[in-house]
Amino acid sequence: MISDEQQDQAALYVLGLLEPHEAAAFESELNANSELRDIARELREAAGSVALTVPSQTPPASLKQRIMREIAMKPEAPTVVPLQRPSLGWIPWAIAAGLAVFCGLLALDRVRLERQLADMRATDPLMQTTFFTLAPSAPAPADAKATVAWQPGRQSGVIRISNLPAPQPGKDYQLWAVDAEHKDPISAGIVRVDKNGVGQVRFKPVEKAEHVKAFAISLEREGGVPKKEGPILLVGTT
Amino acid sequence: MAETSTAQQMLDRKMIARIGRRDQSAFSALYDRLSGPLYSLAMKMLGDPAEAQDALQDVFLQIWSRAGTYDPEKSSVFSWAVLLTRSRAIDRLRARDRRLRVVVGSTADENKIAEATNASTVESAADTANKKDEAAHVRSLLNNLPEDQRQAIELAFFGHRTHHEIAAQLGQPLGTVKARIRRGLLKLREQFRT
Repeated sequence: MISDEQQDQAALYVLGLLEPHEAAAFESELNANSELRDIARELREAAGSVALTVPSQTPPASLKQRIMREIAMKPEAPTVVPLQRPSLGWIPWAIAAGLAVFCGLLALDRVRLERQLADMRATDPLMQTTFFTLAPSAPAPADAKATVAWQPGRQSGVIRISNLPAPQPGKDYQLWAVDAEHKDPISAGIVRVDKNGVGQVRFKPVEKAEHVKAFAISLEREGGVPKKEGPILLVGTT
Repeated sequence: MAETSTAQQMLDRKMIARIGRRDQSAFSALYDRLSGPLYSLAMKMLGDPAEAQDALQDVFLQIWSRAGTYDPEKSSVFSWAVLLTRSRAIDRLRARDRRLRVVVGSTADENKIAEATNASTVESAADTANKKDEAAHVRSLLNNLPEDQRQAIELAFFGHRTHHEIAAQLGQPLGTVKARIRRGLLKLREQFRT
């Protein structure tokens, strides 16, 4: 039995009117309640139909040409992989990162992080640490960069970011782990930078990530999102 | 109602599946089917042809890149695309730091929008007639809702304010506004089915 309050939340959810933490809580409820999912779908359909009430307009033909040209230029590089091919999801990310890694500007950060992790290694000699170099992707500034030290055994890591300006109000940077065994990137939480564009954050992905191929930072709604929505600003492999 | 017919939904799903396999002809067909309603929505929310076109471009590029993540259990392709468009339009409104632009059935505003894009209209007469019939039908369903519910839905859907702001604007308690949105949407859905 779905309460009126749950239905109210569902209506606000489909319209994107819930606060991020409310939306996250509601999504958990949705996952566990098929009846509530049915209501949400009904509400989504009703909301979609509201669009038909506006006066009919037709876009100029040139717009279609523009969009078709755009997709023709990047048909092999979808930002999200279709459900039918989940195991290949990390490839476009890796390619994008590989093109930018050559710059080698991150050596300093790497050394710094290696020092910071030396003590941790000493206390756990079996611990494996993998370093990821994240390079900028438009619209990030060309000198933005980040280094991730990832400890798969502990399922946690440290990221250090440089030259990434603070996001505009209402937005946050979100870190993602791209894992070969997961269809979608796994959220590793919000990462913040200071006024100088520098940030250092310890993180832990929300799901177990045993085969991480890459890390990426995207620009998302304030508070973060369960699935990546915004543009990738930094991405990189080992 | 064409947008909610099972046959059309099945066709849309097939197109999305093909788009997920990078099929440009399927993408082109889906564009032809959805661009009119989505552009109309973007125009209503943004009130500027150039910005509405940019928003529509964002949406279709998103459909191209995210077709594989479309979940038919959550919504029809049409509703998915509508909500993507609304979301991109709201992003643009926020980015512009513009005050709320709620164009609630204002004839003057609708005429202004129509004039601004008149030159770009290239639909066939039959398409236009069908879409007008469809829009008139949905508009009549919306108008059949109690005034308070219709107003709450339009503010929630076309505006980019939070439910707290809508409650403040209407001078109503938050719980009342939530219930009006929910009841209105459910009633609208019920009417579509009959």
